[in-house]
Amino acid sequence: MTQTFRRLHRTATLLVVVAVCLPVPSALLAQVQPDSFLGQASTVRQGSSLSAQQQGYSLRWVPGLADGRKATVQVSGLSLEAIDALQNPAWNLADWRRVLAVYAEQGDSATASDLPPMLGTYRIQSGVLSFEPQFPLDPGVAYRAEFRLGQLPGAQSAKDARLVAVFKLPAMPQRPGAVVQQIFPSSLTLPENLLKFYVHFSAPMSRGRIYEHIHLRNDAGKEVELPFLEIDEELWDPTMTRLTLFIDPGRIKRGVLPLEEIGPAVKTGKSYSLVIDSDWKDGAGKPLKAGFEKRFRVTAPDRDPPDPAGWKIQAPQPGTRSPLIVTFPEPMDHALAQRVIQVVTDSGRDFSGDVTLEDQERRWVFVPTNPWRSGTYQLLVPTTLEDLAGNNIGKPFEVDLFEGIQRRLATPTVKLLFEVR
Amino acid sequence: MKQIASRSVLALLVLGLFVQGAQAGKLTAEMKEGKPAFQSMGPLAFGPEGILFVADTKGAAIVAIATGDSTPASGAKLLKVEGVNQKIAALLGTTADQVLIEDMVVNPISHNAYLAVSRGRGPDAVPVLVRVKADSQLEVVTLDKVKFSRADLPDPPVDGVVGQGNRQSNPRRESITDIGFLEDRVLIAGLSNEEFSSTLRAIPFPFKTVINGTNVEIYHGAHGRFETRSPVRTFVPFTVAKQPHLLAAYTCTPLVQFPIDALKPGAKIMGKTVAELGNRNRPLDMIVYQKGGKEYLLLANSSRGIMKISTDQIDSVEKIEAPVPDGNKKGLPYETVENWTGIDQLDRLDSQYALVVRRAEGGSLNLESLPLP
Repeated sequence: MTQTFRRLHRTATLLVVVAVCLPVPSALLAQVQPDSFLGQASTVRQGSSLSAQQQGYSLRWVPGLADGRKATVQVSGLSLEAIDALQNPAWNLADWRRVLAVYAEQGDSATASDLPPMLGTYRIQSGVLSFEPQFPLDPGVAYRAEFRLGQLPGAQSAKDARLVAVFKLPAMPQRPGAVVQQIFPSSLTLPENLLKFYVHFSAPMSRGRIYEHIHLRNDAGKEVELPFLEIDEELWDPTMTRLTLFIDPGRIKRGVLPLEEIGPAVKTGKSYSLVIDSDWKDGAGKPLKAGFEKRFRVTAPDRDPPDPAGWKIQAPQPGTRSPLIVTFPEPMDHALAQRVIQVVTDSGRDFSGDVTLEDQERRWVFVPTNPWRSGTYQLLVPTTLEDLAGNNIGKPFEVDLFEGIQRRLATPTVKLLFEVR
Repeated sequence: MKQIASRSVLALLVLGLFVQGAQAGKLTAEMKEGKPAFQSMGPLAFGPEGILFVADTKGAAIVAIATGDSTPASGAKLLKVEGVNQKIAALLGTTADQVLIEDMVVNPISHNAYLAVSRGRGPDAVPVLVRVKADSQLEVVTLDKVKFSRADLPDPPVDGVVGQGNRQSNPRRESITDIGFLEDRVLIAGLSNEEFSSTLRAIPFPFKTVINGTNVEIYHGAHGRFETRSPVRTFVPFTVAKQPHLLAAYTCTPLVQFPIDALKPGAKIMGKTVAELGNRNRPLDMIVYQKGGKEYLLLANSSRGIMKISTDQIDSVEKIEAPVPDGNKKGLPYETVENWTGIDQLDRLDSQYALVVRRAEGGSLNLESLPLP
């Protein structure tokens, strides 16, 4: 039996293979890389080391039916001998990669020639060699599949003979990027020992070297040097729409070197701007639609712990869902005030509702899910609640060690009673 | 967390508790075989027997993986991968700007390097574990069928209040900034994205079905009379006066020492501040090594230089309790290693070399072996 008869898939010429490569759903773009392909086609047609029968090889990308990002690479036209050899259980990843490799193009990288092929699963099924990438393909990235027919077991082709097909999903459609919706604290005046900002975005954002996009500038436009606690982990919420930005505690705490050497990040009586650059990319890779600037003036440090005894509680009417309003003498930490304060009935049963903060986080507004009933309710306030300077209830941010550390950690929760009548 | 395994070995030797022969295989005996689920991969630490601890911040868990990578390294082989971020990107079928190297750790037995990587930078990023062997080739560690055990971190008390209206989706998350294995427990330093606090959690290993974490509050006296609940950024076990201690670097730059014996449930520990590192020194990674018969601490600082700290006097150094005057750094002496710039990740490769992930111009990252200074 000649090799010609044993061929499973035969196509007339390599150019026909090109045609096989091209039909893809309109939403996708699969292309044969013109230069590489023509060069190889020329080799196939003219190279003395390749027989005519070997022109029947087909290399193509097959986009996933349900998800175009799950494309596979298929090579057909393999001889039975080649298939037998490819099914050798002793073959390892390096053997497979010698025959068929897929590269995610990295642009003009200096080490581009040294880049490894991407990971995936190799299979032989119905006489077709296929490669399924381990990860979904990224839009806008060119993926180059190389089938090195000269490396097939028993191949008589030139060692460097190869077919190349490039697949590229169109880049994500242009749409406006995310925006900064709000920065808390929302007050226009902040204490010199402010502990943190919360930056809220309209859509999930991207991680990695985020501090390059965040600046604190004084009223002359000069950048404050290293004002933030920069940690690689980055303090995002699970949806990646809220970033917590701590001021470097070394610039807040008295008696530590950073404060001694370069002083507080912001100084009493001065004005500053917290600036978010527009080149920060959101989770979809789009730059922010616009930058954001929060201006504020700095007041004296706040070293007094918040005291719930000074809060004003405006009790609602029974039989209504009117809001319970608690007014603080000073702004409280937005995230903690929204999450940790709880309303329970006199018997301690949870009384659910929605919380908003108003008046620059000085007013806590609770709208219950069900109408109020006449009687006594409790407002449970965990002492972990912080003001803008990180002072806890009954426990300042900085504590005098002479007081002893045991005495400070008292009750975990403060209860405030109010009557609905 | 870096050389914590080898340091803990030292500590155990000192205590006469090191019974590797008797324990061999026991640590993995109760592990199950399968595919551990990860939502993210952050800090890494090696324990004994090639067990790799992986912190999953998104999943609020620590996963112990029996890597089986426990063949001792043969000879000194220096790892070097130029453009490691680009090569990982190529391997994962994406571009370098979509790859984040979260942590890098060296297996103290085989000297192979492990990197926790995120493929993608948004909320749908996929965590991947990458290994670099002695030939400096990259490979993805297949976790489809491994022996592993998982410890879900207990919710801290402040998470107990949920379920009212819009609070049902809890935005609070505790990032794990460092982990380490010590004697029979995994230590975890965390930082919340809401309240500012210092907790060091200790979880017994092998993990039990029900994990009761131990929260320890640590105070240190670097600020005159004033003190805060500052979070631990990174830590390393260290032997002082023949007793195992932890040396913890805080976000506000003091280096604080406290005895490991004090890490008891609910403990409130007063640590001893042994050095004030000053401005621009934001602790990132610490390793301990010996050179010329002396012991040193190497502290990487957020890509802004690296500090070499002699620990000769750590036992006798006077604790810092008064404000440090301008320009007069108190505590342990240290020097800045000027030519170690752009260090993103640091671990000890062997007794002579450190392994670093270093940022080059243009944003490219290189994995390099550098002689310990």
